[in-house]
Amino acid sequence: MALLRHPSRSRSRSRRRGPDASGARIWSWFMLPGTLWMTGFLIASLVLVAVLTVGTTDELGNPRFGFDLSSIRALADPAYTEVLARSLGYALLTCVICLVIAYPVAYTIALYGGRWKHALIAAIVVPFFANYLVRMYGWSVVLSDDGPLLRALRGVGLADANTKILNTGVGVIAGLVYGFVVFMIIPLYAALERLDVSLIEAGRDLYGGPVRTFLFVTLPATRQGAAAGLVLVFLPAMGDFVSAQLMGGPDQIMIGNLIQDKFFQGQNWPLGSALTMLLMLVLLVGMLGYLRRTRKDEAEARR
Amino acid sequence: MTQLSPPTTTPAPASERPVRRTRARRGRADRKPRVLIAVTALFFALLYLPIGVVTLFSFNSQKSLTVFSGFSLRWYRAFVHDDVLISSLGTSLRISLVATAGSIVLGVALALGLVRSRTRLGSLAGLIMLVPLITPEIVTGVASMLLYKGLGVTLSTGTVMVSEITFSISYVTVILRSRVAALNPEVEEAAMDLGATRWQAVRLVTLPALLPAVLASAVLIFALVFDDFVLAYFTTGVDPQPLSVRIYSAIRFGVQPTINAVGTLMLAGSIGLIALALFIPRLFGRRGGLDILSGS
Amino acid sequence: MDASFAVRLDGVSKRFADTYAVHDLNLDIESGRFFSLLGPSGCGKTTTLRMIGGFTDPTEGSVILAGEDVTVLPPDRRNVNTVFQSYALFDHLSVADNVAFGLKRKGVDKTEMRRRVGEMLELVQLDGFAARKPRTLSGGQRQRVALARALVNRPAVLLLDEPLAALDLKLRRQMQVELKQIQREVGITFVFVTHDQDEALTMSDRICVMNEGRVEQVGTPEDVYEHPAGRFVASFMGTSNLMSGTYRGGEVTLDQGPALPVGARTAIADGTAVSVSVRPEKVWLSDFEPGMSVLRGVIRETVYSGPTTTYLIELAPGVTLSVLEQNTARARMEDRWSGGETVEFGWRPEHCLVLA
Repeated sequence: MALLRHPSRSRSRSRRRGPDASGARIWSWFMLPGTLWMTGFLIASLVLVAVLTVGTTDELGNPRFGFDLSSIRALADPAYTEVLARSLGYALLTCVICLVIAYPVAYTIALYGGRWKHALIAAIVVPFFANYLVRMYGWSVVLSDDGPLLRALRGVGLADANTKILNTGVGVIAGLVYGFVVFMIIPLYAALERLDVSLIEAGRDLYGGPVRTFLFVTLPATRQGAAAGLVLVFLPAMGDFVSAQLMGGPDQIMIGNLIQDKFFQGQNWPLGSALTMLLMLVLLVGMLGYLRRTRKDEAEARR
Repeated sequence: MTQLSPPTTTPAPASERPVRRTRARRGRADRKPRVLIAVTALFFALLYLPIGVVTLFSFNSQKSLTVFSGFSLRWYRAFVHDDVLISSLGTSLRISLVATAGSIVLGVALALGLVRSRTRLGSLAGLIMLVPLITPEIVTGVASMLLYKGLGVTLSTGTVMVSEITFSISYVTVILRSRVAALNPEVEEAAMDLGATRWQAVRLVTLPALLPAVLASAVLIFALVFDDFVLAYFTTGVDPQPLSVRIYSAIRFGVQPTINAVGTLMLAGSIGLIALALFIPRLFGRRGGLDILSGS
Repeated sequence: MDASFAVRLDGVSKRFADTYAVHDLNLDIESGRFFSLLGPSGCGKTTTLRMIGGFTDPTEGSVILAGEDVTVLPPDRRNVNTVFQSYALFDHLSVADNVAFGLKRKGVDKTEMRRRVGEMLELVQLDGFAARKPRTLSGGQRQRVALARALVNRPAVLLLDEPLAALDLKLRRQMQVELKQIQREVGITFVFVTHDQDEALTMSDRICVMNEGRVEQVGTPEDVYEHPAGRFVASFMGTSNLMSGTYRGGEVTLDQGPALPVGARTAIADGTAVSVSVRPEKVWLSDFEPGMSVLRGVIRETVYSGPTTTYLIELAPGVTLSVLEQNTARARMEDRWSGGETVEFGWRPEHCLVLA
């Protein structure tokens, strides 16, 4: 018996497909429908936008495929660069303001929320996932010239009869902040909640005052959460067109409004596509910056 | 033994001072941080103010959005008798139902496959799945619109459904992916060990284990699709239009108090649904939570 | 093919990328035995178990169950059941439904099923828990459900992957005895994976010691403990005093220290570098018999641990032996050695093993 079982014999046997190999196949089948759907309806459509960037329109305004760089060249027009710069400025300001607002709120809830912590965060998150349009509409009513906010400010002498929020840049940014601040609160709250309280106490021992502790312990520990929040706010803020429409005037339009205009009123789809690709490009740069940042952080953490 | 005693005596004086200092500092830290609490309270006030305003004025007896002149249900009555809005409501409900069903089926399968498969297709699918999450809705909307135009498909309720499914698959997958990853793979193996085929193991063991998360994400997706405006705006036909697109046109063209009533109902509906989504896991005796919204 | 072997592994290897988790494993497991695969983590014992169960494909070789080559069969078509380390209970099903899962798959009729599930719950002392959900049970109870769920199918072989690892020490001891009893009662071949040598020694009929994907030794617990086949087994199974030296004519001259007479089991050429091993409990500190090797050394440390006392005795610079003495009724505290004293100690030559 023992003689028959020679190791060399089994080694020469060819590799067969066994149960775990077929198991791997079944998971690929699971992925297939969803992946095909996404490829067909999303990736293909994004490719189409890229292709139409170099397309043209016929006399009736219908898009035609071709190779024409005029839409891309048109982007250099000051009318468009100005809108792009404004959009960037609004989006970045929105990011900063969201960070400044979200940090104390997340910090207070995470560290002093006690057993109400989850309820408080839910109270922030739930309405934010409710109807965006209705919320923005309500916000525009609040910010309107004789709305409750300005009336309150006038009451305490912080505003006069001429103070306006709607139809100004402040209004648009206020809209963007109201729309997307939750995307800053969630990652910050998650980072702060993970933060070990004993770390803060250790910081008190090492650095002394609460300010120094905050600067040297709390802030660095939540940097990743803040970075994630900045990206999560920047992405939708940059592409938004509702805020500028409801809170801004003609001088506050953003790139999203331009895109909407080219596809609906203007019927210049190639130019709309070019603007869309420009928007994507800006966002990609932002994303890559974030990824490089986090990768550097991870590399440092490993060291 | 005598050799050991000297070092134990030396640290004692040094340890006294820091202890006293920490105690003094802790006293200061335990005081309520009034500024932080004030900022948080102000934040909550501003967060709920717009919602409160819309709700309040939906019950206003006059058309004004600034002066409340008495309680009335006239705008709700106006909404119920507005055939266009009611048919839009039906359209939105149909879109949400179809999109939820479609994206749950595709998304659950995708999440299972993504977590378990270690093939190259898996990592590619994982990347594709992330695209909608990092693309602003306006881009997805424009792209969908172009695709239908390119395919020669007339925009309709059906095109909204397809686009909403596309967008929602990502959400479902992101939410469920971490749940699938948290499942004990031995449970599925145990089912196969007991005579189930791999497919039976998924059906009899894995899917029941995922049921709470699947239900919760279904409710969430239903609410998100029902509320979605941007994608619907770019992909809908002229008639019938989803409710959110109708609200958009109404808002753009001046004040219509009926919109307050519709908006209040929509807010109440989606807040209820999202709260339900957070609560569902608890019904199954599991830790429910916000992780379903953040996906982590 | 000889079917008296419940499991036969024939030249089985498993390679992950470039490294072998299991390398050219040949193993016969007789029917009705309690067979343990013992080794440190990463030695390939779990991979071996998974290949028997059908959860992992061997890269090479074949798995034969009761004379039938099942290498390519999926788990659901092997007459083998597994108790998983995590228990892997179905949380959405009641205890009874968990146990009935396998029978349902097989299409056993309702009354028969109910009877067998009831019997099995009785065997594992869980009657009365049938309607409970696994989540509401304690660790030990969950473990029993896992056992019942596997055994109810009357498999030819039951595979157990460190099933006691998650239990606390006391419960583990109790379950060790129970498992052994259940195995005797049902007469099913148990293949038991563990990294705990005590567990393997107390429960097994046969132990297979594995290291780095290879079999180091297969034998009865006594065999493996008393006659380790190599340095690895000697040091992994309990404590051994391992010393290196050179073999010459029935003696081993230590690299540092004296020559020790040894009882070599196998022929070893003179001049071979070897290790010698003496178990701490095989060393005597008094009442030496004629023919024993008696040495002198200095007590460096005395460790009292209840029923036993361990002495660390320095035989030569760099060579320290551990010696275990029972604290029996006759041994008085005052008689215990203390540090710094020079003592004589010795052992029978057959207890000084030569390991090539």
